[in-house]
Amino acid sequence: MHNTITISITDILGCDLCISSEDGQRIFETIAPLIDEGKQVILSFKGVSMLISLFLNTAVGQLYGKFSDLEVRNQLDVEGLAADDLELLQGVVDNAKRYYSNPQEYDKAWALEGDDEE
Amino acid sequence: MQKKISSIQSNLSGFNAIAALAAKKTEPFTDDNLELNFQDCTHFDANMAAPLYAALTNYHVNSVLAINIRQEIRTILKKNGFLGELGVVHRVEADQTILPFWRFNRNDGVAFAGYLQHFMKGRGIPNMSASLTKRFLQSLFEIFQNAAMHSDSKSGIFVCGQFSPTMHRLDFTIADAGIGIRENVRRHLNIPINSCAAIAWAVQAGHTTRTTKQPGGLGLKLLKDFIHINQGKIQIVSRYGFHEIAHTEAPFHKLDYDFPGTCVNIEINTNDTRNYVLKSEIKSSDIF
Repeated sequence: MHNTITISITDILGCDLCISSEDGQRIFETIAPLIDEGKQVILSFKGVSMLISLFLNTAVGQLYGKFSDLEVRNQLDVEGLAADDLELLQGVVDNAKRYYSNPQEYDKAWALEGDDEE
Repeated sequence: MQKKISSIQSNLSGFNAIAALAAKKTEPFTDDNLELNFQDCTHFDANMAAPLYAALTNYHVNSVLAINIRQEIRTILKKNGFLGELGVVHRVEADQTILPFWRFNRNDGVAFAGYLQHFMKGRGIPNMSASLTKRFLQSLFEIFQNAAMHSDSKSGIFVCGQFSPTMHRLDFTIADAGIGIRENVRRHLNIPINSCAAIAWAVQAGHTTRTTKQPGGLGLKLLKDFIHINQGKIQIVSRYGFHEIAHTEAPFHKLDYDFPGTCVNIEINTNDTRNYVLKSEIKSSDIF
């Protein structure tokens, strides 16, 4: 189990709020190198009082742009999340997988509907 | 210079009136002082102080005066701190039904958290379940941070809330005086999209105007899902666009005037006792 590292979000951020993409980036920059080294990472949300998608997009969703689905699945786990926050994380992960599979998809579809009468 | 303020409610008409106030292009403006004439104003929803303040940022004046203001409206705007912010009166302590007008710097998410902690906890806003409170606060943070990230508002972010105990409704409004959703989407898609179409684009899941190549665009989708279940309401106003999402329909309207920024008003049903937790349990190992 020495290959497993638990990362405490509140220890890294020094607060219990997970509300900004800047803080999400700090978490991403902490865990991405560990996954790169082949470590098992447990991301601990214990003590977090507020969590929003903006933070999770950067901290976790961004991992899918650097690693394969399989690598993330095999090497990352989370703890300390309430059931509704797990649901939020699920939405972020699904959205990230869609995004990195084809980032331009939505933009192209909408480009046809633009107009400017203002 | 004097500007008339009509009755202002949290609806299309109210936002149009505020956007009209911001539209000062037709008149040369050289005064140091702006007088807001409330003579025709018989009703003012307290939370609408946030977009009103955004409109006033269009005026670079030394002072703003509120004249011919009815006592009951003066009381509302005094208690919620709006008149204090303008320097018309000294700030007074907000009462139990008010989340007072406050101005934050764009990077002040932590200060906003402190504001919510202070004004939501134990001194206003009663009768909400823990689950509803959590979802509501998450929604407010998503909106606030969206404004912080995308608005480019030089004068900050303005917030204000009002609780109606008899109606079991809580309105909270977050406004900025930034470039608007339209400009963000135009830059991102590189097409001449109008305000309503830009709002429609932004509320779709996965759509984000982030310049960094990262996933995003879930905040407004989550807000819509929450409001749908709660049977509340969201109004999104940005530049010429007005979009209202209630539990039944989602109309778009073009405003007559250019609102100088973006404003999101969220209204929730505070009597909602649903537990906003999945019915079937998710295991963390199944997420990735």
